[in-house]
Formats: sequence, C-alpha cells, structure tokens
Amino acid sequence: MRTRDTNKEEIVKQKAIEMLVKLGIEGFSMNRLAKESGISVATLYIYYSDKDDLIKKIGTEIGQIFFSEMTKDFTPDMSFREGLLKQWENRSRFVIQNPDKVACWDLLGHSTYRDSILDESLLEFKTTMGTFMNTAVERKELIPINKEVFWSIAYGPLYTLLRFENEGKSFGGKPFKLTKEATDEAFELVIKALTP
Amino acid sequence: METDLQNILIFATDIKTESEKQQISNCLDTHLEISKWTIDQEDIDCVLRIESDTLNEEQIIQLISEYHFTCTTLE
Repeated sequence: MRTRDTNKEEIVKQKAIEMLVKLGIEGFSMNRLAKESGISVATLYIYYSDKDDLIKKIGTEIGQIFFSEMTKDFTPDMSFREGLLKQWENRSRFVIQNPDKVACWDLLGHSTYRDSILDESLLEFKTTMGTFMNTAVERKELIPINKEVFWSIAYGPLYTLLRFENEGKSFGGKPFKLTKEATDEAFELVIKALTP
Repeated sequence: METDLQNILIFATDIKTESEKQQISNCLDTHLEISKWTIDQEDIDCVLRIESDTLNEEQIIQLISEYHFTCTTLE
C-alpha cells in the first residue's frame, strides 16, 4: 500500500526551494531533485506531474505562507500607524526567518510563473490591503496616493534595511546589524512621509 | 479531492518529441479508463504519468508498445 509520506514531501519541497535558488529555473531538474531528496524519480512523479507543475505548486505555497504571515494579527480596520507597524513586523520576521523562501519567491516572481503563482495566492491579501488603505485615507490618516508610490515609500526602506541585514554589511562592506532603533527611525520617517 | 496514490502509474519512455507525443495523445485522451495523463518531455526519462482506477502497469506498457515506443516501469 502506497501512502503519502508528509515528512518526505516536506524534504522534497525544501530541497526544491534550495535547488531553484542555487541553480535557477533552467538548471533545475526533477531527476536531480529526486536524487538530492533521497527518493526515486517515480515517487517524485507521483506527487508532481512535471517540472512545471512542481514549480507552480511550490511557488503558490510560498505565496500562501507569505501572505498568511503578512496578515497575522493584522486587521484592515487598524489605525494606519498600528497597521503599518504590524506589516513591518510581519515582513521583517518572514524575511529574516525564511531567506530561502524569499529568494525563491523573488526568482519565481520575475519569471514566466509569476502570473499563475500570484493569481492563486494574492487575491485575498490584495482585498485586505485595499480596504486598509481606503479606510486610512477616509480617516485622514494616510494621504491619497497611488498604490505603487505607496508601496515604494511604505516598504522600500524596510526591504533595503533587511537586505543590508541579510548580507551582514552595507556600503563599502561596512558590517551591518539591523537594530530596533534603526528600524524605528526608518518607520517614523515613513509615517511622516505618508500622513497628512 | 486528492488523487488516490494507488491509481498513479509512472513509466520511463522514449517519447521525446512533440510529434511523438501527438501519436499517443488521441488514444490516451479518449481512453475511458484513463482519467488523466501527462508526459514530462523535459526529463531524461520522458516520464509518462497515468491516473487510472482500473488499468495496471502491464496494460499501459502494452498500449504504448502498440505505437512502437519503449515504455518501462520507473522505479
């Protein structure tokens, strides 16, 4: 009797993410994944019909985890300051704890898989964040602003700091460790820029 | 609903090109006992994956051989 081994499935997913980040989409192969995961090629094909199917499923799952982490303890009726702070906390935690998933998400987000992955995982999150922004504008806690500019100002500074943190260094190789003080300072400047 | 793992059959084949795939497509598409099938031609083994409640490995191998392709159980 063949049974679904969830532990093995998790190993396969983790290995697939690592291999995608290391080898890129072109260099990734089902054969090699099976070998590195210590399972037979046939077993791998029981779970996934082909490379395309595997990449889409893995990407969609990362997206779902990412967006569910983003909405942890977050509700769209929070005050703008409180809600954005929660977004910063959730995003920082996810990026710091899941460097491989984030790198894989970036890779797939810039590939032809982008649309199929985003369609599956993004819809609910988009609605939540849309409500959050509209409510904040109505309450006069946020200036009316288009989405792209909002995103750049609201999260750009955070992701830049997280990149320095991830690399362990900033300009000219200067060692860098992201402190609460630096994060708070950047957050206050973002609030200043976005509130009326 | 999740597919029952018992009903998935996996084979290595030499069906390498799109035109070779076309030769078996019609037969597999219309086969009443095959609910779903795919072939991964990017893979070195050109892995054929069949979902069927009733067919067994020998029957699939027999079916594919009729089109003069090699088809072996993939372990």
